This record gives sequence, C-alpha cells and structure tokens, in this order.
Amino acid sequence: DEKKEGEEISSQWEDDWDDDDVKDDFSQHLRKELESNPAKNEAKFT
Amino acid sequence: IETARIFDFEEFPVRDKVTYMYYTGRLEVYNENFPAADHKLSYALTHCSTKKEANIRMILKYLVPVKLSIGILPTALLLEKFNLNEYADVVLALKRGDLRLLRHALEEHEDRFLRSGVYLVLEKLELQVYQRLVKKIYIIQKQKDPNKAHQIKLDVIVKALRWLEIDMDVDEVECIMSILIYKNLVKGYFAHKSKVAVLSKQDPFPKLNGKPVNA
Repeated sequence: DEKKEGEEISSQWEDDWDDDDVKDDFSQHLRKELESNPAKNEAKFT
Repeated sequence: IETARIFDFEEFPVRDKVTYMYYTGRLEVYNENFPAADHKLSYALTHCSTKKEANIRMILKYLVPVKLSIGILPTALLLEKFNLNEYADVVLALKRGDLRLLRHALEEHEDRFLRSGVYLVLEKLELQVYQRLVKKIYIIQKQKDPNKAHQIKLDVIVKALRWLEIDMDVDEVECIMSILIYKNLVKGYFAHKSKVAVLSKQDPFPKLNGKPVNA
C-alpha cells in the first residue's frame, strides 16, 4: 500500500503542458492588447 | 584490515540510499547538472517512505526547481499536498508566459529560495517564460492571419512586455530573441533591418522534453 502511494507521488508531473491553447484569461488579455490601436498605446506612456 | 573493498550501492539499506541520493542530488543542483540532479532526487523521492512527509517535502524543495528547469511541471495536487505553495505562481507563470508573475513570485519568496539555494535555478526559468510568451503571440497572430504568423515584429513583443510592465526597447528585445534562438528555444532568424524575427515553419518552439536548456 505504501509502495502504491509512493508511485502516486512520483507520477505527479506534467511534461505535456506546452499546448496551443490561447483561450485562458491571460492570452485573451494579451490578444486584446496586441490588437489595440498602437497610437493609443503610445500615448499612454508619454 | 579490509580497505579497498568496492561496495555495491544496492547492498546498503534503503534509507541510507535515499539519504545519499538526496545529498548528492542537491550537490548536482549546485553544479547545475540538472539531468543528474533529476535522476538522484527522483530516486530519493520514489524510495522515500511515504510516512515521512517532511522528508518528501525536503526532496521536492529541490526536485521541483530541477524539473521546472527541464520543462516538466509539478501538478497542483503535489504542491498542495506537500505545502510547496511558493511554487504555484512560478508554475502558472511558465504556463502563461507571464514574465511579470515570474518576477513577482521570485521577489515574494526570495528569502526562502535564497536560503535553499534554488534562486538562481528559478531565475533561469525566465528564458522559458519568454519562449512561452512569444509562442502565445505567434498563436494569436496565426489565428488572425496564418500566412504572416511566422513573422513576428519585434515591436509587437515590446508591446506585450510593456503590457506586463516590463520596459524594454526593440534592441533589448532583439537581444532576448537572439538568446532564445541561440539556446534553441526558438527556431528562426532575424530580418535585422526591418526589425522582424522570422520563425521557422517547422517546430518554431522546440520543447525541452526533459532536457536542460542549452548552456
């Protein structure tokens, strides 16, 4: 039983996480930012 | 007197083998030999008694950054179960390509990471986060116009970074992109004059798949 638990702990890793999904909040915001008017964006920092 | 006897590693009691692999694994972390550190610390983790939660936690404190540096993420369950929440934002930053979050997480837990000696290992994750951010920009461009997606204007990356409150000019971004290409995190070349990075059409963002970033 302890061995099983040990194997369970050792299997808690993901190597296939680097997917093409851009539906998450962060990506959506990034998309909006990239599509926003560049001139307007410049103005924000001057 | 018996002196030069060569010991077989397998002859020792399991708990001694675990201890040995833990400490030599930690040494490999300091030497930045991540495949060896992964091997040794994973051995310690697999053979450590599951009743010794504190020991498992000690092993994971080093194994998690090692795994991250070769592109492998711990599950949320693992971090939660062994109270390693200081890594939660680091993992999220890698998944998102969120440079600001990575820097913030390192700053927030600076003391802890410095004390255990993994700070420098975690700092190097920045390159993987840049890779992820550029990949996201690429995917977003591809959805809009598949024909032009492999040309990424450095200006666009500057803009994304500015959104993340990281102030870099086009030359600095070109420098970062050169490093990514040199380290094989991005495949492509520059059109230097037009300030465009042209990505390879085949596998522009090679995955680490358990291998360390090129030195």
